[in-house]
Amino acid sequence: MADILNKKSLEHLAELARLELKSGEETKMLKDLEEILEYFKELQKVDVSKVEPMTGGTSLRSVVREDVVDAKHKTGQGVSDFPESDKNYLKVPPVF
Amino acid sequence: MDVRNLTIKKIQEGLLNKTFSALELTETFLDRIEKEDPNIGAYLSVNAKSAVAQAESVDIAIAKDEPLSAVAGIPLGIKDNLLIEGWKTTAASKMLAHYRSAYDATVIRKLKTAGSIFLGKTNMDEFAMGSSTENSAFQKTRNPHDLQRVPGGSSGGSAAAVAADLAVAALGSDTGGSIRQPASFCGVVGLKPTYGAVSRYGLIAMASSLDQIGPITKTVEDAAILFNAIAGQDAADATSAATNYGETLLQPKLETVRALTIGIPEEYFVSNLDSEIGLALQQVIKDLEGLGIKTKKVSLPNTKHALSCYYIIMPAEVSSNLERLEGIRYAEIDGVHRDKESLVELYKQNRSRGFGAEAKRRIMLGTFVLSSGYYDAYYARAQKVRSLIKQDFDEAFKEVDVLLTPVAPTRAFAIGEKTNDPLQMYLSDIFTIPVNLAGVPAISIPTRPIKGLPIGFQLIGRHWREEDILGIGQYYEKIHI
Repeated sequence: MADILNKKSLEHLAELARLELKSGEETKMLKDLEEILEYFKELQKVDVSKVEPMTGGTSLRSVVREDVVDAKHKTGQGVSDFPESDKNYLKVPPVF
Repeated sequence: MDVRNLTIKKIQEGLLNKTFSALELTETFLDRIEKEDPNIGAYLSVNAKSAVAQAESVDIAIAKDEPLSAVAGIPLGIKDNLLIEGWKTTAASKMLAHYRSAYDATVIRKLKTAGSIFLGKTNMDEFAMGSSTENSAFQKTRNPHDLQRVPGGSSGGSAAAVAADLAVAALGSDTGGSIRQPASFCGVVGLKPTYGAVSRYGLIAMASSLDQIGPITKTVEDAAILFNAIAGQDAADATSAATNYGETLLQPKLETVRALTIGIPEEYFVSNLDSEIGLALQQVIKDLEGLGIKTKKVSLPNTKHALSCYYIIMPAEVSSNLERLEGIRYAEIDGVHRDKESLVELYKQNRSRGFGAEAKRRIMLGTFVLSSGYYDAYYARAQKVRSLIKQDFDEAFKEVDVLLTPVAPTRAFAIGEKTNDPLQMYLSDIFTIPVNLAGVPAISIPTRPIKGLPIGFQLIGRHWREEDILGIGQYYEKIHI
């Protein structure tokens, strides 16, 4: 499966997932993912040419409601969990 | 007082007859937790003050002769991925070690209103990812039947708490078997409801198209009572459906149960199934036939693809659901300084320290199967295979009403046995995963008492037909209790 994943593509995935893997972690991750992807190979044999995808757990259809403010949720409580805030805004390091 | 044989049903009678008070009952459980839980490790946190206050209000209601709900005064353990306002909810992760819930999950709100008592939050695999509870960032939980063995997972703390009489019943969550497999390992009952039967609002999401909350109890009758108390449509969960459960869940008629046909799917009785489990299940089939229920062999040919399908779809959803956890909004991560040069740098530091190995593995796997170039070969294909797996169930349910299968290929395994080999760990969910992919309900029930570690069998029902599996289960139980 080395043709799919290697050290470089693993680092790219980690970057996308906002993870930083230590070198020992990286070796184990590569080995585990290769084994798992190898197991997945059996799926390639299944004929799905005439099958519609199942895109969720429910067959319910989306419904719309009136666009009115629902004050049920106490936003203050989520905000009070912020480690650092300024006038109820979350303080974070520079984005750029 | 001796709480070892207590059930939800017996507590209700005891409270109404004033044999004991809710406070007396709650304090007995709190004492037991203090004495026994250091050996088991079922609870991550206990909230004695709140439990006592809840018990006192139930006693006041009884004194005033107010009507009691079926779950009033019941001391429960709650899996630590369900929010209780003001309580810590960690999902057994360093990522949420300091998080306090801002609101009640819908199931919690319902049970609070009904007068149930929350003893504490139970241990689990981190973010419900695992089959042994060994992925908890905080502690191991031991199987009460053999302390060197795992309780199963991910709801291992809930199952162990019920098995060790550290709660009368508990709530768990089940994405690929996380209620049923630990129930089987610990010799208790676990119900995974139909997808949409119970609101997921306030459950820390793992894989949203698969997750369901359900009860872990000592008897099938208790599972029916607790399920009935938490089911129902909720505006806060768009996938919850209008349901019409009721008395028939609680008092099944023998004539109705006898009219059901049970299918035995050949794909679940395969060579990797432990031979003792195979034998125990043959006996269960005989017992059920003895009740007058017909059985029939059926085939679910796509079962063999369920594990691959699940381990693509679930990590894809995990990687999306866990994106929000960056160690900034919910709780800070120990050991990370906030004065980073950039926001991205802080994200990386927090996520790398906050998540454990299994969470990282699934986030990486999910990111991979969703990434450009691989999406069609993995994720899109898995969604189609999921359709085939659901169709298998639809076809089987044209011939039979219920399916009977093993819950897991083995009994409880040793602590540490599978921690280094993720694929082996994943294989322990091979018989429970198809149920979540199809969205149907299933229950794990202990077989009649046997030598050695417990064995469970699984009954799978049609969508919204919890009544059938709970009905058969309640009559099976009448033969053996």
